[in-house]
Formats: sequence, structure tokens, C-alpha cells
Amino acid sequence: MKLERTPKSIDLNITTKCNLRCSYCSHFSSAGETDKDLPTEEWLKFFKELKECAVLDVCLSGGEALVRKDIRELIDGIIENRMRFSILSNGILIDDDTASFIKATGRCDSVQVSIDGPGPESHDISRGKGSFEKALSGLRTLIRHEIPATVRVTINKHNYKVLDEVSKLLLEDVGLPSFSTNAASHLGLCRDNADETQLNAEEYAWCVEKLFKLEKKYNGRINAQAGPLASGKHWVEMEKAKAAGLPEIPGRGLLTSCGGVYSKMAVLADGTMVPCSQLPHMNLGRINQDSLADIWLNHPELKRLRDRRDIPLKEFDFCEGCEYIPYCRGGCPALAYTLGGDENIPSPDACYRTFLEAGGKLPKLNN
Amino acid sequence: MSAVSRFPVANPMVIFREELDEWAVLFDPDANETFALDPTSVFIWKLLDGKHCKEDILTKLNEACNDTPEDAPQHLDEFLEELAGKSLIGVEK
Ligand SMILES: C[S@@+](CC[C@H](N)C(=O)[O-])C[C@H]1O[C@@H](n2cnc3c(N)ncnc32)[C@H](O)[C@@H]1O
Ligand code: SF4
Ligand code: SF4
Repeated sequence: MKLERTPKSIDLNITTKCNLRCSYCSHFSSAGETDKDLPTEEWLKFFKELKECAVLDVCLSGGEALVRKDIRELIDGIIENRMRFSILSNGILIDDDTASFIKATGRCDSVQVSIDGPGPESHDISRGKGSFEKALSGLRTLIRHEIPATVRVTINKHNYKVLDEVSKLLLEDVGLPSFSTNAASHLGLCRDNADETQLNAEEYAWCVEKLFKLEKKYNGRINAQAGPLASGKHWVEMEKAKAAGLPEIPGRGLLTSCGGVYSKMAVLADGTMVPCSQLPHMNLGRINQDSLADIWLNHPELKRLRDRRDIPLKEFDFCEGCEYIPYCRGGCPALAYTLGGDENIPSPDACYRTFLEAGGKLPKLNN
Repeated sequence: MSAVSRFPVANPMVIFREELDEWAVLFDPDANETFALDPTSVFIWKLLDGKHCKEDILTKLNEACNDTPEDAPQHLDEFLEELAGKSLIGVEK
């Protein structure tokens, strides 16, 4: 993969605070939950460095980015420094005034709102009482203001049975062009609430089948970079390659799942630079003290993560004897770390053999 | 013929991202558009500071590479026109 001279995009957890406390939240009870938020001036100073580094865009998240009182000042700073931005939000604080402000910048790529179900029963159970109505209202406000709005559905034990209904709500009633899905994964608070929250193999398999059908029904308007839809597609590809007797799929058989470290980095709410907001334990330095460009090109931990792509799966005891090695990419380094204690190992979360051994099946190959 | 000013100047709102292989990308954050520059174009872009006219740029190009093609002036014109068309450089008002 081609390494950029400086990161193209940066994820900024501009606050550690949130007005909700979702039962599966990856932020809380992780190393990303910091003691304090950086003051406005520190962020504004850092945006100047981002301009010097020719960073193209930033993604504002948290916590909940919109709880920051100075959010407009921060966005103005992003604009002044020639960048575009996107926001990940729970939608609660998105009103007409906020939407007008965002629209007027002309630089917003997207605002993603988290909506977990077609109604309060399936959404509020994980995200808190009253949060569904507010999130949906926030989403509708964005659309009214013609801001590119998108939704993330985080699939968990409480909402996986209502994927039909949530798809109808988002794609038919609200009329979004598309939405994305993931599954609540073993990060942050979710680790403490795993049994009540995370899908087991059978439920995961159910979601793979359901999402395949929905994706077809809605002509590809449901997408995913992780979770049942994304893993299901990889696993089908792996099965097909194996059935066709292919010796390998190019670029597989190695830990090649994540290319993020070649073009992106992240900063935590206290100014700690990290490779990715899901790898908050990997402290690379501090903004406004350490040089972003220097860290990007020279930090040994970033180099170690980039070298991950050259590590063969056959070296791991975990993969010993697996027939899928030549077709597999090893999964997300953050989940590899939280589940296995090291970023540069295969992640059990994305492991097809583990899924099969736990009773999971792929829909199209059942019969 | 040309809207390009005699001393062309890069639009200060445009991001110039150099890559490790000596290519670069121009990014207009308002239009949300990118424009790729090969190493020669990168060389030229760096001279679009409002202090170098086309002749200066051609002279510098000749100094930098031994075998500048004969039609370099025409290529330079076309390149500057294209940049002006995309508002990536200032044009004569
Ligand atoms: C961490 S939140 C931050 C932005 C905002 N507060 C929100 O909830 O949308 C970003 C996204 O990650 C999702 N998320 C949170 N915890 C997760 C987990 N353990 N696994 C997968 N996705 C998770 C949320 O549902 C949300 O869509
Ligand atoms: S998922 Fe988002 S809204 Fe929910 S607690 Fe975490 S940061 Fe807050
Ligand atoms: S054991 Fe799992 S991670 Fe390893 S190659 Fe097989 S499917 Fe992939």
C-alpha cells in the first residue's frame, strides 16, 4: 500500500463527554475515555498544523462532538485551515440552528446519526430513554437542511430482529440514499456488557442472511465496513475461492484487513495522538508538543502497524491447520488487541473458522 | 487569448499535497475536487507565487531538466489554462 507523506484524514475525538451512555459504547471504559477535554485554543493551534501538513479532512467524534459549547468555533477553525469535515453524532443536539450553521460552511461531507431501530423499543434499550425520537428528529432536520446525512445502525442482541423495519424506516420513510451497519463489538463498555449486547454465532449468521436479502432488496443501499454484512461478504468470497480450488486470493493469507494506518490517524480528547480511535492505548505523542509529520513518518509503533500487512497468517498457532488461510485477511487490529492482547495477530472477531466452529453458517452455502 | 495572469499565482485556498513519489494532489475544499500533478507540474506549481512570469518558469524548467521538449511553452500554456479553468490559480481580472 502506498504511504502518504502526511495523513490525508484525521479522526478527532474532540470530547470525552457524552449526553448518552449506550450499553455497548466503545468509547467509555476504554483508554479513549480521557480525564479532560482540550481547550479551544489547543485545537485551533493544532488545526494550523493540519493545514501545514495538507490534511484534507477531519471527522469530529467523541464522545458526542456536539456537546462541546465551542463546537462552532472549532468548525470555523477547520474551515479557516482549508479542511472539510464530517461529524459522527447521536443526533440528540441537532436542531435547525445547528443544521443551518453546518450547512452554511459548505464544507461538510456528512453527518452520521446513530439509529439502532425502527422505534424506541429497539433503540432506547441500548441508547437511553427518549433518545430514539430525538435522534430521528435530528436526522430529519439534517435532511431538511440538505446536509449529506447518513445513519449507522449498530446491530446488537436487542435490535437484530428488526433489520427489516429499520431498513424500511431509513430507506423508504426517511428516504436516505443509504445507511451503514456494524455489530456492537468487543470494545470499551461493550466488553462489560458483552453477554447482553453482542451477537452470538447463530444471531450473527441470522443477520448475515437478513442483510444479504435486504441489500439485494434495496439495490446495495445498505453498506458495511465491519460487522455481519462485511464479514459475511468476505466469508462468501473465501468459500467460493476454496470451492473453486484457487491457490490463493491476491493480497490474502496475510494480516491485510486494515489499511487505515497508511492514510489516517486520530487524536483523543486530551490531545493524545493515536493510530486510530479504536486503538486508544497506543500513545504516539501529544498534539502541539510533538510534530504530526514526524510521528506519521517515523513513529516505530505506526511502522509496526503498517508492517502488519506482511505478516503471514500461517505463522500463528491460532490459524494452524485452517483451510482458509490463503483467502483470509485476519481482521481488525483493534479487536485483535482487545480480544487477544496484540494488534498484530488475527482477530477472533472476524475469524471465519471460529464462526463455523461456534455453529455459524453462511446463507447461500447452506443448501 | 488567455485569462491567465502574466504572473500566475496559486489560489491560496487550494491545498497542495505532495506525495512521497514526487507527485502531488491539489484539493479545492470548497468544490471538493482533486487534481493530480505529475513531477513536472509540481515543479511548475511551486513557481506560481505571483513573482514568476511564464518565461521565468520556462527558464527554470530548462535549467532543471536537460531535455525540455520543444513544445514546452505550449504545454505550459495549456497547463496554466487548465488550472485557471478550475480556479486553482488566479486569473487576470
Ligand atoms: C462511538 S460513537 C461516537 C459518535 C456518537 N456519539 C454516536 O453515538 O454516534 C460512533 C459510532 O460507533 C458506534 N459504536 C459505539 N460502540 C460500538 C461498539 N462497541 N462496536 C461497534 N460500534 C460501536 C456507535 O453506535 C456510533 O454509531
Ligand atoms: S455510542 Fe455515542 S452516544 Fe452512545 S455513549 Fe458512546 S459516544 Fe455517547
Ligand atoms: S483461523 Fe480464522 S483468522 Fe486464521 S486463517 Fe482461518 S479463518 Fe482466517
